[in-house]
Amino acid sequence: MTAPTVSFTDERLTNGLRLIVAEDHLAPVVAVCIWYAVGSKNEVPGKTGFAHLFEHIMFQGSRHVAKTEHMGLVQAAGGTLNGTTWLDRTNYFETMPSHQLELALWLEADRMATLLDALNQENLDNQRDVVKNEKRSSYDNRPYGQWFHKLQEHLFPPEHPYHHPTIGSMEDLDAASLEDVAAFFRTYYAPNNAVLAIAGDVDPAQARAWVDRYFGGIAPNPKIPPLGEMSVPATLGGESREVIEDRVPLPRHYFGFRAPCFGDTRLDALDVAAQILAGGKGSRLYRRLVREERIAQDVAFFALGFVGGASIAAGQATVRPGVDPDVVERAFEEELERMAREPVTDDELARARALIETFELEALQRVDERADRLAMLATLLDDPDLINRQLARYLAVTPADIQAVAAEVFRPDNRVVLTYMPEAGPATHVEHEEPAA
Amino acid sequence: MTLEEILAARPSPGEPRAYNFPGFERTVLPSGLQVLAVHVPGRPLVSANLIFRVGAADEPADRAGVTVLAARAMTEGTTLYPGLELIEAAERLGSTLHADASWDAFAASVEVAASRLRAALELLDELVERPTFPAEEVSRLRDERLNDLLQMHAEPRRRVEQAFSQTIYTADSPYSRLVGGNEPTVERLTRDELTAIHRAVLAPDRAAIVIGGDMTGLDVPRIAEEVLGSLALGGSRAPAAPVAGRAPTADSAVDRTTVRLYHRPGAVQSEVRIGHVGLSRRAPDFHAVQVMAAILGGLFNSRLQLNLREDKGYTYGVGAGFDMRRGAGPFGVRTAVQTASTVPAISEAINELHRMRDALVTDAELAVARDYMVGVFPLRFETPGAVVGAIGGLFVNELPDDELARYRGLVEAVTAQDVQKAARDHIHPDRLAIVLVGDADVVGKDLEAAGFGDVEIIREELPGEVGEPGGHGVGE
Repeated sequence: MTAPTVSFTDERLTNGLRLIVAEDHLAPVVAVCIWYAVGSKNEVPGKTGFAHLFEHIMFQGSRHVAKTEHMGLVQAAGGTLNGTTWLDRTNYFETMPSHQLELALWLEADRMATLLDALNQENLDNQRDVVKNEKRSSYDNRPYGQWFHKLQEHLFPPEHPYHHPTIGSMEDLDAASLEDVAAFFRTYYAPNNAVLAIAGDVDPAQARAWVDRYFGGIAPNPKIPPLGEMSVPATLGGESREVIEDRVPLPRHYFGFRAPCFGDTRLDALDVAAQILAGGKGSRLYRRLVREERIAQDVAFFALGFVGGASIAAGQATVRPGVDPDVVERAFEEELERMAREPVTDDELARARALIETFELEALQRVDERADRLAMLATLLDDPDLINRQLARYLAVTPADIQAVAAEVFRPDNRVVLTYMPEAGPATHVEHEEPAA
Repeated sequence: MTLEEILAARPSPGEPRAYNFPGFERTVLPSGLQVLAVHVPGRPLVSANLIFRVGAADEPADRAGVTVLAARAMTEGTTLYPGLELIEAAERLGSTLHADASWDAFAASVEVAASRLRAALELLDELVERPTFPAEEVSRLRDERLNDLLQMHAEPRRRVEQAFSQTIYTADSPYSRLVGGNEPTVERLTRDELTAIHRAVLAPDRAAIVIGGDMTGLDVPRIAEEVLGSLALGGSRAPAAPVAGRAPTADSAVDRTTVRLYHRPGAVQSEVRIGHVGLSRRAPDFHAVQVMAAILGGLFNSRLQLNLREDKGYTYGVGAGFDMRRGAGPFGVRTAVQTASTVPAISEAINELHRMRDALVTDAELAVARDYMVGVFPLRFETPGAVVGAIGGLFVNELPDDELARYRGLVEAVTAQDVQKAARDHIHPDRLAIVLVGDADVVGKDLEAAGFGDVEIIREELPGEVGEPGGHGVGE
């Protein structure tokens, strides 16, 4: 089985917009994905949560599109859409029946060119409420909900832009003004700060003509402020621990480590290590902690790639009732340290490679995933062609590579351990109130 | 032209490319096993799904949970591949074996490169035919399930789902419980019961293997026959109970609108479910109901979303729909709202239910819903996995082979009158269950004052706060 090559064109308009088009006519479907090189890392203290709040504003209309009409037009065309915000970027995407491609391009161009015409206090207040409810439902009202924010706090110093959560704080969301929103748009939502990727049932010449037409006249921003220094030492320099009492029935550990940046081949080796550690029932952590010793209810381990100084490698284990959480922590850490001490077996590596090959093939079947990856690799690494080399890089990872990255990353002085413990509140008795008459 | 002139002109769509749902080829093996093969050109990753038309809704009430547990225990070892060897063998093919059960079906599936299809089917056959259900793995999986139920009580969005099902269905309906069973029956399940259910229910004459992907150079029916033709499940099973046409009991336990609030002190949101017993997938007005549900709570710009999210800002999201099963699954409005907005959010949601019944939808609303459902159809079936899943659904629900080929035409034919009739027939604002997980000290009094219906407040002990590991009981 060989992974199909994704052929694409890669050009820049004179205003700096980078356009990548990958043609493939298997299904009558086309994906449009636009990445803006702005994320929560571009936020300053007192204005956290801004990049994400702004993402919501992008769906509130522009000069030629009314509030909520963006969603309505895409869905009426038979398309799907969304936007997401993360530490390094904000992206917006539509997957359309291929004869509706021009509509998606026009919608993206209209909001890049004219968003501020539709911005008003009422829309800002409404979306601020929606975002505060997103924060409540995704983090605050969810058991263990703050774990990733806690890892960010522990892994990056307070002045580092990865220290604060993308969702922001209630106080900062309350403080966001119309002028802040407008300034954010003028600064970052410029064609020279964006990559537009189109994948699927498309004629590249036609796509280029439409993109020239709708985006060509949008002015660039020559003064996009550079980010400050983001580099951090490769390791934390000392273990960091926190115990959190929460309304949870079972204790759970979260582990966090600084790891090599996105695009570094050592991160490929760490991805393979994560597969061997926790990728399914045949993995080491599952086998030992869940199946054999029966001390954990579930386990996980994965790496999240970032470009600004360090990535985050993270793990978790939920402690089974009646088991000492320390025993689970020790077993988890022993398995990570064993990765550094001895090479993985040939069979483990062969299984991990075969699975990764299938995962990659599965992901690249979809036009939305192809467009997203091309835009991501162009935005973060200036290397969209990595889409065609990534699988070979994974398959080239050796036992020695895994051992080396494990030795660098899985060190006690590079480790954060968060332990969630059930709240020690007074035991309440059950009472049953009868319905009011 | 200036940029303003260019952007002021909305583009019109091009000519749509023809799309047809891929046709599948049916072969019935002598054992009764159906082989449904679908060629999806250019897709070297093949999806195979072995489905038995029997599920958790068919299990005895006193052993609720046994079907799901049996399915999950099947990957724990077989005669030829003890322990994790089966999992490892699949991984060497670059594949993961899945086995699970839903209300209506028991399914084992695998995704694999076309060149390794035969080897993967051999593992699937081994998994289904010769699981050993090792006693200690069964007890571990059972304990994991009990621990998961414990966790569920602390997660408002899972707790409210369980409470909603329990509220709307009578106790003799399987749908009143969770698909994987609740504590009282799960904690008594043993290896013997798993073995028995495996023998009793998994028969080739109620099964289909659905295989999709690029079949160039592969004789799929022949491979399926060679590998799965003798699938007989030990030959020691009881005769298959009739399944066709039979739907589980799904009676409503609610005859007038009532409110049930599960207290969570300090909760910053209320998880809310509003609804009642809904419909079977075999409902004759399926397409009209789906268009109606899209307008009410399925589209991004549904009536509920425009009102509760875009106008009021009460919530990050609200949806509504029918979970259609062989029997009548639930109809529900689902949302999480900030605590202070709980009562107004419920009022607005109920207003929207009335409005669907009281007046015709506008032409614009109808057009968006129909155009979306018709237009998004090819997007839904981009990969073999999605195509195989949809064909499996036809088999499970005993729907005609051309159901998906006819789908877009039937959706396009739905009128505003059909939508209103579907709302009047299937939405009942006078007998709603309103189930919440939230802070009763803040919203309890307002809920009573709102007059939706009788209010029952349940202050349950949360497992985490008791500090007694291992206890699974939760009083209500």
